[in-house]
Amino acid sequence: MRVVVDHVSKTYTDRGGRSVDALRDVAFTVEAEEFVALLGPSGCGKSTLLNVIAGLLAPTRGGVWFDGARADGARGANARALSAMVFQEFALFPWRTAQKNIEFGLEEAGVPAAERATRARHYIELTGLAGFETRYPHQLSGGMRQRVGIARALAVEPAVLLMDEPFSALDAQTRQLMQEELLGIWDRTRKTILYVTHNIQEAVYMADRVIVLSRRPGEVLADVPIELERPRTEQMAGEPAFVQAAERIWGLIKAQAWAAIAE
Amino acid sequence: MIRSLLALVLLVTFTLPAHAADKVKVGVLKLTSSATLFVGVEKGFFKEFGVEPELVYFQAAAPIATALAAGQVDVGATGLTAALYNIVLGGEKIWVVADKGREWPGYPLTAIVVQNELYDGGLRGVTDLKGKRIGITQLGSTFHYHLGNVLEKHGLTLNDVKIVPLQAMGAAMEALKGKQVDAIMLPQPFPGTAEAQGFGRILAWGGDLFPWQIAAVFYSKKFAAERERAVNFMKGYAKAARYYHDAVLAQKDGGRAPGPNYDEVVAITAKYTGGKPEIIRIGFPYQDRNGRLLTADIAKQIDWWVKHGFMKSALPLSEVVDTRFLETALKALEK
Amino acid sequence: MTRLAVEDRTRFLIRRDHPWWRVLAVVGILVVWELFARIGWVPVLFLPSPIGVLREGADMIVSGEIAMHVAASLRRLVLGFAVGAALGISVGIAVGFFSIAEAVGTPVIAATFPIPKIALLPLLILWLGIGEASKVAVIALGVFFPMAINTYTGVRQADPLLVRAAVAFGARRWSVIRKVMLPSALPMIFAGLRLGAGTALLLLVAAEMIAVESGIGFLVLHAGNLMQTTKLMVGIVLLSLLGVLSHWSLNRLERVAISWRQDH
Repeated sequence: MRVVVDHVSKTYTDRGGRSVDALRDVAFTVEAEEFVALLGPSGCGKSTLLNVIAGLLAPTRGGVWFDGARADGARGANARALSAMVFQEFALFPWRTAQKNIEFGLEEAGVPAAERATRARHYIELTGLAGFETRYPHQLSGGMRQRVGIARALAVEPAVLLMDEPFSALDAQTRQLMQEELLGIWDRTRKTILYVTHNIQEAVYMADRVIVLSRRPGEVLADVPIELERPRTEQMAGEPAFVQAAERIWGLIKAQAWAAIAE
Repeated sequence: MIRSLLALVLLVTFTLPAHAADKVKVGVLKLTSSATLFVGVEKGFFKEFGVEPELVYFQAAAPIATALAAGQVDVGATGLTAALYNIVLGGEKIWVVADKGREWPGYPLTAIVVQNELYDGGLRGVTDLKGKRIGITQLGSTFHYHLGNVLEKHGLTLNDVKIVPLQAMGAAMEALKGKQVDAIMLPQPFPGTAEAQGFGRILAWGGDLFPWQIAAVFYSKKFAAERERAVNFMKGYAKAARYYHDAVLAQKDGGRAPGPNYDEVVAITAKYTGGKPEIIRIGFPYQDRNGRLLTADIAKQIDWWVKHGFMKSALPLSEVVDTRFLETALKALEK
Repeated sequence: MTRLAVEDRTRFLIRRDHPWWRVLAVVGILVVWELFARIGWVPVLFLPSPIGVLREGADMIVSGEIAMHVAASLRRLVLGFAVGAALGISVGIAVGFFSIAEAVGTPVIAATFPIPKIALLPLLILWLGIGEASKVAVIALGVFFPMAINTYTGVRQADPLLVRAAVAFGARRWSVIRKVMLPSALPMIFAGLRLGAGTALLLLVAAEMIAVESGIGFLVLHAGNLMQTTKLMVGIVLLSLLGVLSHWSLNRLERVAISWRQDH
């Protein structure tokens, strides 16, 4: 299933009553089973765009389409969602165990308890959470918490997985390991992934394509294909294709990043 | 602690050179029932015998008993309640020395007031109170004792009615008005007010149903020990009692006959209580012309409280009543 | 050159547990109190000795008096508490979640909350009579306000991120209330319950001072009226025990209900 972002604009009205353009005429497509990174300097409206795609925010103009979606919309009999979100701050329910967190979306979709448990079990294994099912979020490390976040999103078997800077709250080493882990999961599930980040190395290392957004109002500056083989390894960071892509992207947003600091 | 603090205060007071006054502190309520003492003070009967009383006003009867036990006042004048006997049982000394008011036939003081509708519906006697809710101020109060004895005299017991303790007299009135109780037992002027406002009818006056010693004059342990002053105080009190009796309680041909000083006593009472003369005229409580107690009645009261569980054990009369101050004073007055 | 060892300079800040001092403090107070009573400095009538209070308490247990009073008080307390807490939580959630309820509820609560509930007792007696209803109602009212306000605050403090996450995973209104708002508000709700418990005890005593013949409040008032100070002291000890008991049981309940919290 492909995701079509069809000329989306979003205008806020701030507290002072002034209108602020967050997104301006953003258009791109994510193909089925593709891993696309959405990159831009802080304040480029990446998260706004992700929320629009998730249906948590209405665009001012334009729309988002899921090509090949079933006629009955978001929920079929097997409780497949169009999209599911992995949050930067994990957003786990502290009063639920890891397993109960993973089952949340299934509960809301009305999946019977027995099937919920089976499906949760599957994603617990897939994300390496076995043995931690009964832990509460505060009893888990940051890396484990985000595994729960990913498993929770995968459990509803969404057409597209939306990830909003999922590893930026983790320390550098954990982040490195989680990136590898996610690539492994992607390899096994072949999910369509739209991955928001402000980290160029991360974007290039993981994605098939990097869509670069400008500062507010967010516009598509470039659509950079990453010509690296899969599976990706850490050593690829030295390859010319990696370095060139990273430099090109940095060139696009460097001035904007400076402006962001000055703001 | 209270006592040692007080001792310290007294010590300081007595070592000061100018302590000549030596006043006797008398705890009273600002009510008509304290009239005898007001008369004694106003007319100088106490001063006549070298005693200088100082009136200390209280809001309720119970604190007077406590203040007496703590030695904060020397003399008290108030109702005879279970609390008083329990103070003595608790190891403190308070002496009941003279009459300060009786429920007496022909002298309206406390009445049983019933709801208008019940009265019209045929509730006319004490026996008709069976099963009714009767509001009083507190359990263990003079009203409780009085009501219990009235019921028993008519072949009922306190268990045949539902006693509702409402703490304050005003609250009891409101409860009758709001039909939350069927009857109340309260002193004047409440029964009169209830009839005047039309929500209650006086079933009977307590004194007609069951006469008893309702109030008394008390001495603190310390004051009782100062024998001479204690007797002198009684001399003044006896004189005041006679003056009071002759002025407001005298009877002729089965009816009350105001004496020559009636208006004066009303005026004095009005001055000390701050009450309106027309309210005060409604009734003065009866008391013995010489201030003599119904000693046997006090024994009966103690028995009753013990029997009904308001006192843990009986109290010999000799532990709580001492009539010798009054008797000595009366003898001296005859001379 | 001399060597200087580095010392732990925070030592005076360390707070140690002193279990023996706790026991000693309580026992010490009791012993001094008993001594005062024995020596006779304080008349027993004004401050009964601890042993006297204990003996009176034992007598009252044997006679069944304590059981009767405690049962009557507990019934009023539990009933009033349950009604007040249930209503308070419901209103708190409604006001916290629905904007119309908030617009209506907050000014009403703000206006009625500061009224000392004891002042409403005479009014409640007028409305509900002098029976049990008015007593339960005043306790319920006393519990209602801290519960409603705390639940409201708890609901409003619910992490918007979690609400968004719930919605992102398909939660509708009632799911959000039940699965996000309510658990988010639980710590505040328990704080409210604890506040309410204190208020409830206070109102219980006040309510039991009018037109009743049972309950600990009655016991205290009645013994005071009769100048039976030892009995009065037994009543006060019972009240203190009731307070400790309610605090303890709420703590236990909270530990079970909020087992997921970090600080447990």
